[in-house]
Amino acid sequence: MLKLNNIEVAYLNVIRVLHGVSLKVDDGSIVALLGANGAGKSTTLKAISGLLKTEDGEVTDGSIEWEGKRIDKKNAEEIGKSGIIQALEGRHVFGHLNAEENLLVGAFNRKDSNAIKQDLEMVYSYFPRLKDLRRNIAGYLSGGEQQMLVIGRAMMAKPKLMMLDEPSLGLAPLLVEEIYDIIKRFNTESKTSVLLVEQNVRVALSIAHYGYVMENGRIVLDGTAEFLKNNEDVKEFYMGLSTVGTKKSYREVKHYKRRKRWL
Amino acid sequence: MSMLVQFVITGLAIGMIYSLIALGFVVVWKSSGVANLSLGQLVLLSSWFTYSMLVQAGLPFYLGIPLVVIFAIILGWIIERIILRPLIAQPILSLITVTLGLAYFIEGIVVIIWPLSQAYLPRFFPTEPIHIGSAVVTQEYLWAAVISLVLFILLSLYFRYNRMGIAMRATADDQKAVQACGIPVTKIFSRSWMFACVLSAIGGILMSSIGGIRPGLVETGLLAFSVVILGGLDSFVGAMIAGPIIGLVETVGSGYLANFIKWPEIRTVIPFIIIVIVMCIKPYGLFGENRIERI
Repeated sequence: MLKLNNIEVAYLNVIRVLHGVSLKVDDGSIVALLGANGAGKSTTLKAISGLLKTEDGEVTDGSIEWEGKRIDKKNAEEIGKSGIIQALEGRHVFGHLNAEENLLVGAFNRKDSNAIKQDLEMVYSYFPRLKDLRRNIAGYLSGGEQQMLVIGRAMMAKPKLMMLDEPSLGLAPLLVEEIYDIIKRFNTESKTSVLLVEQNVRVALSIAHYGYVMENGRIVLDGTAEFLKNNEDVKEFYMGLSTVGTKKSYREVKHYKRRKRWL
Repeated sequence: MSMLVQFVITGLAIGMIYSLIALGFVVVWKSSGVANLSLGQLVLLSSWFTYSMLVQAGLPFYLGIPLVVIFAIILGWIIERIILRPLIAQPILSLITVTLGLAYFIEGIVVIIWPLSQAYLPRFFPTEPIHIGSAVVTQEYLWAAVISLVLFILLSLYFRYNRMGIAMRATADDQKAVQACGIPVTKIFSRSWMFACVLSAIGGILMSSIGGIRPGLVETGLLAFSVVILGGLDSFVGAMIAGPIIGLVETVGSGYLANFIKWPEIRTVIPFIIIVIVMCIKPYGLFGENRIERI
């Protein structure tokens, strides 16, 4: 179980981006972290995975616990080895390696070559297209294929917690659904917890068990996916739905005041 | 005619050694993006260390050479650990500049420890020359070529199939994504510097077994650099092919030009003329990877 207790993160010791974020990922669950640009979602993930340190960021307060141990002072390799793997935002494939080599890099920290071979087949069964493309240079794959490769690479590490940063970024709606189905299947079949950062609230809540809404470096709302889906504010501000059935009078909409003040 | 054959064979063999040293450059460049400007000095240092082992300490060949290799591995580890690691995440120019500083540092150390201007290694290859057609070639050249080729093949296999080798190539592509996979990038940099040092040590042993240990050995670093530029900074095959080309042009060119131009230094200039021409026509080198950019 991953637990963040009131963490604060500052870049360059000056720019504070997270102001006390607490969240929890239970074993085997899918948790979605939602919010607009600049809310601090990616920073939260990087704080967990330890990548913050390479960006001059630091967890200045609070604690991050993983399986009962504090990990907020550990570096990225140790955290990766302890079973938390992050797939970065924006398709960071290894452009000059072929697809299969990309996947093998994901399994770097594992020693058992038979299990690695099995998992390679498992990834290919989730993403049959990657099997056809496995000798192709990753840099020339399409955006969707690259995103599959990045997720497949994270799967190859056999993580206990997989953190995905906007897997739907820049993909066609059909492909988004396909990829989300696969994430869901992977979650149920291999019991891997998933922490998902997403702007596409609708699709994220379709597979998540629990969700957190972030704004300006704070968590402003959380609840089960069912609860969030039916929450009026989430509906209006993140899904673009107004209360069904009522006629919206645009005269009464003072849009400059329509921004929700959460706190 | 026999002169031409002789020039060609020695040129190719010397070129293979350049390739070997150039491979050390490519390994570091490929994994960390650092241009190592201290190659020539590493060659010099390990040559003198070989001298200490084989001549001053009088160790036999089969004991001395492995010791040199171990020394090179430790040297690579120290360089990465002490000099480069504190500079991780700093601008790449600082990292390149620090290798230049390292170069002068090593040169100074060499002068302090081995205040001789020149020395010779005991001959460890069979001494009788080989007749190829009408040309006569000493065996050192052929051995150098064979050893370089074998090491090249081993290295290529390592980078193709070994898990560490693949990870090293991945690091060259995207350092951050490698970290996100939980791979220790520092270990990868350290490994690449070990490779670079071992390759330049073996290159140094081969060079000095042919021409003795001279301060001029430092120039092999520059020659290796021109090999890398001709072959493409990130290509093993490029380095392996460009080396013999540079060696060939150097020996054949200077061998024949010596009759016309009364300027013995022409030999050292030729490779650099090639660099300039290549940079104008093919800035990525003959086999350099094109940057993959999808729009």
